[in-house]
This record gives sequence, C-alpha cells and structure tokens, in this order.
Amino acid sequence: MSGDIRLAILGCGEITKIGHLPAAAIHPGIGTLWLIDADATRAQRLAEHFRLDCQISADYKTVLPQVDALINALPNSLHAPVNLEAIHAGVHLLCEKPLATTAADARACCEAAEKKAVLLAVGMNRRFVASHTLLPIILQEGYLGEVLGYDWPYGGVFDWTSASGFYFSRTLAGGGALLDFGVHLLDSLIEWFGPVVNFDYQDDDWGSGIEANAILDLRHCGKFGEIEGQARVSRTYPLRNRLLIRGSKAQAEIPAEDPDTLIIRREAGGCEVSETLRLPNFADTSTFYKQLDNFIQSIRGNQKLESDGWQALRVIELIEACYAHRRRIPEPWSDIARPEGAVR
Amino acid sequence: MKWRDRTIFVTGATGFIGGRVCERLVLESAGRVRALVHSPHKAARIARLPIELLPGSLLDRESLRLALGDAKVVIHCGLGNARGIVRGTENLLAVAAEAGVERFIHMSTAAVFGLTPPAGSESEDAPVHSTGDDYCDNKRRAEKAAESMGRKGMSTVILRPSIVYGPYSAWSTRLVQSLRQNTVALIDGGRGACNTTYVDNLIDAIFLCLDNDASSGNTFFITDGEAVTWGDFIRAHATMLGVSVPLPEISSEQVRAYYKQQPGLLTGSVKATAQVLRSRQFREMLMQVPLTQKILSGAWGWLESLSEERRQLVRSRIGVRRPAAAERATVPIPDAVDFATQTGTVFFSIDKARKVLGYEPRILSSQGLALVEQWMRHAKYI
Repeated sequence: MSGDIRLAILGCGEITKIGHLPAAAIHPGIGTLWLIDADATRAQRLAEHFRLDCQISADYKTVLPQVDALINALPNSLHAPVNLEAIHAGVHLLCEKPLATTAADARACCEAAEKKAVLLAVGMNRRFVASHTLLPIILQEGYLGEVLGYDWPYGGVFDWTSASGFYFSRTLAGGGALLDFGVHLLDSLIEWFGPVVNFDYQDDDWGSGIEANAILDLRHCGKFGEIEGQARVSRTYPLRNRLLIRGSKAQAEIPAEDPDTLIIRREAGGCEVSETLRLPNFADTSTFYKQLDNFIQSIRGNQKLESDGWQALRVIELIEACYAHRRRIPEPWSDIARPEGAVR
Repeated sequence: MKWRDRTIFVTGATGFIGGRVCERLVLESAGRVRALVHSPHKAARIARLPIELLPGSLLDRESLRLALGDAKVVIHCGLGNARGIVRGTENLLAVAAEAGVERFIHMSTAAVFGLTPPAGSESEDAPVHSTGDDYCDNKRRAEKAAESMGRKGMSTVILRPSIVYGPYSAWSTRLVQSLRQNTVALIDGGRGACNTTYVDNLIDAIFLCLDNDASSGNTFFITDGEAVTWGDFIRAHATMLGVSVPLPEISSEQVRAYYKQQPGLLTGSVKATAQVLRSRQFREMLMQVPLTQKILSGAWGWLESLSEERRQLVRSRIGVRRPAAAERATVPIPDAVDFATQTGTVFFSIDKARKVLGYEPRILSSQGLALVEQWMRHAKYI
C-alpha cells in the first residue's frame, strides 16, 4: 500500500470478494485500506484470505472521518442512506449499482454530491470492457450502415451466493432481475443510442416485487436517430448473453464469452464474412480494477468519471417507469388453476 | 379439510416440484404459504411469488421449527443429499408433530421399487424390497418414517409419482441438450414404460389429498395414467427440436455387454486416475509448479517430436493409447441410471387414487408435452 488514497470498502459480501477487494489490493494509488462489515469477523477473514494488511472495522461511521474515498457495497436498500452520510462527511464515493432503489433517493445522492463537491461514481464495471468503447466507434464510422435495431438477451440460472441473501427481499433489493443486472444493459444502451423515448415492459413478478425475468422493448432517440431494440434479462433461463446490433450493411455482435471483442458480420461475394475487432494495447486488468483506477484518477483530477450518479439516475428513472407500467409476461404453462367443480 | 384457510409449509420449494407447488398454491388463493429455502441463490423462481421465504435446513430441527411457524399443512418435497432424504424427513415429521400439523403430504417416488421396478409392483400394496440403490432405498426409509408417524396419529399421505415432467424439469432440459449432442439412443426401440406424470396432475393430486380426509394414512401412485413409453417421450422432444431423422437405437443386450466389458473397481480406478493425470486441466495446474513445468515441457516436447507411429507406441506403453476410430462407439451408450430407468416394463396403476381421491389426470401427456415445448421456446432451451 504505497499510494496516497485512504480507501474504505463497506460491505464484505461476494462483490467485494471477487471484484472490489482484488482490485484495491493491487492498485498502487491506495495508501490505507479499510474493510468494514457489520460482521467484523467476515471482514477479517476476507483480509486474511487476500493476505492484506488493512484496517478492520464494524462501524463505518467511525471510519468516514479517516478516509478519502469509500466503496459502498452494501445491500441495495442501504446504498442511498449510507451514500448520503458519506457525502456529508466529504468522502468521495464509488457506489455499487444500483445507486439507489428509487429515483428520488438517487437524485438526492446526486444533488448532495454536487453540493458537497465530492465525486459520486457508480459501479457500472461493464463500461470498462473494450466493446463498450468499440461499439460507438464502429457506429460512428458507419461500419453497419444505418442502425436498424438490436437484441440483447442476458441471463442464466441465478447462482450468486450473496452473503446476506438480500437479492430476494423486495425491501432490501428494491426489485428483481431488471434492477440487478438490467441496469448494466440499460446504462450501456442509453449511453450508445440515447435516451429512451418509448418502452414496453413485461416481467414475471407474481406479486412479490422480485421479477426473475424481464423483457423490454425500447425506442431510443439519439445521435444515430430513432433505434428500436429488445433487452431481456433472466435469473432462471440460460439466455444467449450476446448483444446483436443489426445494420443495413452489417451486424455487430458482442459475445458474452469475450466482451473485449466486437464481431462484425457482413455479406461479401455471396457469403458471410466476419472480422473481430479489438482495442490495441487494452490493459489485461479486471473491469473492477479499471473502474477503481478511473475513480482514483478522477479524485486526483486526471480523468473524468466514466459513470457518475446523474448517468445512473436516468437508468433508475427508466426502471421506475418500467415497474410502474409493467405487464405480466404471458405464461400459459403456468396459469393452470383447477377448473371450477374439480374439488369434491 | 379446509386447507386454504391454513398456513401451508412447503419444503423443496426451490426445486422443480416444490416450486410449482408454491405457484399453484398462489393460483389457488391459499391463505399463507411458507417456503423453506436451504440455498437462497436457487430461489429466483419462487421469489416472484407473494409467499414467505424462510431460511433453514431439513437437517436442523431448530431452523425447521422457526420456518414451520404456525403452519398446519406440510407439503414435503424436500430432498437434499442421501442423508437428508431420511434424516430430513424424520426431523420434519418430528417438528410437524410438535406443532400439531393437521396433514402431512410426503412426496415419495415410484422409484421405491427401484429404477427398474419388478413385475408385480403395479399397485401400491406390492411389497417394497431393498433395491441396492441409495436414492431408492432412502426414499423407502423416508416413507417408513412417514408411515410410522401416521400410526402415531398424524394425518400423513404418501404420494408416489414417477417421471414428473413439466416446465423447469430437468427431464426435458437435459434431454434436449443430449439430443442436440447426439448422445441419445432408444433402448430396445424405446418400448420401456415411462410413467409420465405431468407436474400439474401431481399437484392436483396433492390438493385432492388435502381436500379429502379419506386420503389420510394412504399411499398413492400418481401418473398421467397413459401407457407412454420412453420412445414416445424422447421422440416428442426430438420433434420439438425439429429432428426428423430416426433416433439411433441400441438393444439392452448390447448395453449389458458393453458394461460387462468395463473394468472393475480397481482397474477402473487406475484407468480413471490415468485419465485425470493426462487431462488438460490437470496438466495446466501441474504446469504452475516451476520444476514440473520444466520436466514436463521437455517430456511433451520429446513426445511431439516423434513420428505418429512411435508416439502411439509410447502412449500404449504408458497406458494412454487413444482408441482407433473403429473402436469408438457409433451408437451412444446410455449411462447406468438411464439404462435402468428406461428398461422398466411396469405401468403403475392409478386406480386407487381415482377411487379414493377422485383423481383424474387433467393434462394428457400430449398436452403436457405441448406446454413443455411452449415453455422451452420461451426459455430459449429450444
């Protein structure tokens, strides 16, 4: 730990274990590192697992005055209240997605951060895959011709071993698959194609508020004109997990197995040809490392935040609108109750 | 019994049958549903429902007491590991007895007669003997625990479905995957008895057991009541995938002969160890050790420098000879469990369920398979 930034990671669950902590452990900008969890032994175990010499605490309130920056990796419902406390303490924030469970809370975080002049970054680590940068370049260069639409199925059988199990509590999670990894898809789509001007939203929530599947038909209006597409997220079905963008001249695909590449497919000489694009000299570090680096460089004034609170807010506003106008996904195989008179 | 007014406790709720039980309880407007959740990350399907999810384990009585709460009806679909089947059922029965549960539906299986049920096991009163299969024998032991509690006064019902299929069932998702990989062969033309049980037919039977006090103390086979064969079931899935060519076939004699040729425990273990040692994953791990990296790189480099003929010679000396093309099986060989399951000839009778419960399979197998197809298309399995 040779750097100058005093960083605390709050919440020692799965995302910290696999993402934030491995990044922080090797980032040269970190001077002092705190691991905070209401269960201090969990924090201690994590530190030992990574053989880290760091400070441990069960109480973030006492740590806030001693740090420059905080990564908030608590369950969703605790994002906004803790964000506000950290902001008021003058601490720069990198909040795990979603920034808050309601648009009102997300806006309050953005406004407070602006007023207090602290950075509010949001954990959209998928912005740090190479294809996120490559796609707007090829669209701008006209590789695809006119953009006709997109299709983005994303999901699999849920296997996230959350330490708190908050994912399936409406109170703690604030929503289901859409608010969970749906935010990643919407964040990227809005960034590439512009604001959503029209949508149709369906999910399979039967009344708990925790959908396992969501289907969004979206229309954007941005610099490439009006573009329609479908995004689908699932916690129960193994979907194809690839983004396909259809253009008048070619198709672009971001494959799930290697999101640092972008595949262009087009017809040439009567047959389909493809080329795989990559960014030259793209660092072989994790997206969490790149995200943390962007946060630290932004604190130092060397870079601009890749994903800030205001950008996260527009996604949460869209999700809130989706939930407000939801329709049930038709499930004819499910809606089989016993016919009247079946009971003897 | 007016079960809709009672709190209902479901175990195995994150599984295929228990998950559908929870959905159907919601559709039936059951009052309160409490679902035991052992592995929270598997709860995505039931987390959609307006029911209570309670953490706990069948192997931990205290957690069961808390999860059961004031429930007066138990639908026990929980399974767990081999130990969980018996111990978990005993624990749940004990906790249910303490709590004054009024009806306990125990989800057993027709496999208590073994994966290949013997002739004569068509009706519920046929004697059940040890089969030598852990799953089957433990399911029978769990039945005995339920029967014993029934004799002590608790209203228990045992259901024995067979091949339960429907949306989310691994029977279908695995089968389409195997069909895609061309690893499915019809054994003896696919004439084995399949005993399909569409999941909603099974749940109709559960509800009838709750409606009907005459169910108490009884054991019932529950199937679709049709003579569906494995050939019918497998071909229906092939059709869903658009496979029009006839499926490969293999006789049970050929399969038995194949297994007879397989090495015994010791030889098999030695060969399997050799297989692990020469697997790519093992080599990659081994290559992380600097000294072995140096030695093995040299050895592999030397091997690669030999002619193909000499390489085969060396491989055969160290027991890693690759089978020649002619030696490789052209027809897929079913694994031992599939073989045992698909070669039974017994169709279980549902006469008792019809007579005592008024059970009548509402979804025909053709309708059930059509619903499965609809679901698999939606879920992008096909």
